[in-house]
Amino acid sequence: MTCRPEYVKESSDPKEVVACIEERFGEDVQNLELREYKGGLEDAVQYHLLWLKVSRERFLELVDALREFDFLHFQIISGNDDGDVVTLNYHVALFREAGKGKRLGACVSVEVPKTDLVMPSLWERIPGVEYSEREMREMLGIDFDGLPNKALVFLPEDWNEDIKPWRRDETGPSEADVRELS
Amino acid sequence: MAVGAGKTYKVPIGPVHVGLKEPITAWLDVDGERIVDATIRPGAIHRGIEFMARERNPIQVIYLAERICGICSFTHIECFVRAVEDAAGISVPKRAQYIRTIVLELERIHSHVLWAGVACYTFGYDSAFNLGMILREKVMDVLEVLTGNRVNYGTGTIGGVRRDITPKVEKVLRDMITFYKNEFDLFYNVATDDPITMARMRNVGVLSPEDAVKYCALGPTVRGSGHRVDLRWSQPYEAYGELDVQPVVPQDLTGEVYGDVYDRFLVRVLEVYQSLEIIEKCLDDLPEGDLMWEPNLPKLLNYLKRADGTGVSSIEGPRGDDTHVVKLTGGEENVTWWKVRAPTYANGVSWPIMFRNNDLADAPLIINSVDPCISCMERMLVTEKKTGSKQVVTRAELLNRCREKTRKVMGA
Repeated sequence: MTCRPEYVKESSDPKEVVACIEERFGEDVQNLELREYKGGLEDAVQYHLLWLKVSRERFLELVDALREFDFLHFQIISGNDDGDVVTLNYHVALFREAGKGKRLGACVSVEVPKTDLVMPSLWERIPGVEYSEREMREMLGIDFDGLPNKALVFLPEDWNEDIKPWRRDETGPSEADVRELS
Repeated sequence: MAVGAGKTYKVPIGPVHVGLKEPITAWLDVDGERIVDATIRPGAIHRGIEFMARERNPIQVIYLAERICGICSFTHIECFVRAVEDAAGISVPKRAQYIRTIVLELERIHSHVLWAGVACYTFGYDSAFNLGMILREKVMDVLEVLTGNRVNYGTGTIGGVRRDITPKVEKVLRDMITFYKNEFDLFYNVATDDPITMARMRNVGVLSPEDAVKYCALGPTVRGSGHRVDLRWSQPYEAYGELDVQPVVPQDLTGEVYGDVYDRFLVRVLEVYQSLEIIEKCLDDLPEGDLMWEPNLPKLLNYLKRADGTGVSSIEGPRGDDTHVVKLTGGEENVTWWKVRAPTYANGVSWPIMFRNNDLADAPLIINSVDPCISCMERMLVTEKKTGSKQVVTRAELLNRCREKTRKVMGA
């Protein structure tokens, strides 16, 4: 699927998006949750957010499934060193321009085993991912297959790239690397 | 700078000025005066704030979050506390939701007026800059009356707000609305009707509607390219669901979308009027009730210590969608991890596109059109590729170059 840079003006029902994912991915998608967010005087539902976890093998397929609804707006990747795996959470959104309360944000989590810290890059599909993939590479040591520019983005040029600041294992910063300011 | 056929120079602008909140380096490839390409290198002052949060409890992180940015400090704490509220299942009293909305809009007003004034200053329109700064003082005073501070207001907390809108403060707010309704037109007219403003901003730093989508642009940057994208409308939070907030786009005023600096200018100044309407409506509808979900701090901390989950929040800051993600682990006092995505992080990706085929003298204006950090050009180095020679160009020289172009446009 090529990059089609436009937003749909008509949104789909969040439940329809959930049903589509359930039907196509079955047990390869876990922890699927459609969270409601309330607010205002009436405490009414104002918007929804989709949470789910997918296997690395089917991650791109899931992204493409979401892209069938609208251009998948990319926000950020968050991540953590969870022991044997590094978990990445892709924060994305559909229906940005489709009406009041229609935006559907999604948090797609993927576990990347420490024995093979490689993720497929989304750069060809969504060029806006560049900084975030580079950030996850330098901070957590994930390599992104297909990302053309893998230079450091936030760390200094003379940074020792063996140190991954957000890792909690031996590749993370040691006490000697952290300077207390007070 | 020498003009050579096919000879390109690499011009780094930035990265650091100590007074800046988000310094960034732009490496511009120039052929004569034309910018051929640009590469952005952020991170000059990456403070590792997310790393620091691992050793702090959520209440302590509020004050860390507030110091991410001096301009939109409330935006960041609002985003952080909403993420914690999402992770821990905390609901916010209705009065607090309205007060949060009011402070967010006050912050938008001072940010946009500052930006518009600085944009005028950049191309030498100092009288408009001074007028903008005079007008901005009003909202700064109001923020001080409401919170006690001109920046870093210390007003938000998890589950509510720490300052109330008393009848006295309400009067100050309503006086401010009347003041701006009477006085802001003057700035709007001198800034937007001026033919030189138009000449310096029209067709400069263009971001096409397609590129704005592709590079995931946010806030006034994406709206300036004609997209009706505004989280206050598409994903309403706090009191916004009950307000009629429509995204401000240039085509509604001019009938056309250029996606240039002028369109981004228009979006921001028009949003000042919109923010006034929002504050007025919030004051009219301000419900009575509590300010906090749990005013007893040790009790709140104890609850947060038991909370387990991941929370996310995206809100429309003055410069676009600000996103925070927080993980709390049951039984642990400190935040497990925290991710911050400030709007400039995303808008910086589309910067190189805006630079292409523009004059070097427009570079300050283009940089300014995304983020009001003009002083990040404090240091600049010109390198001639062929000889490897280097020449330092100061911010003042670059600013002079930008102003010289205005004089040429004026025929002086």
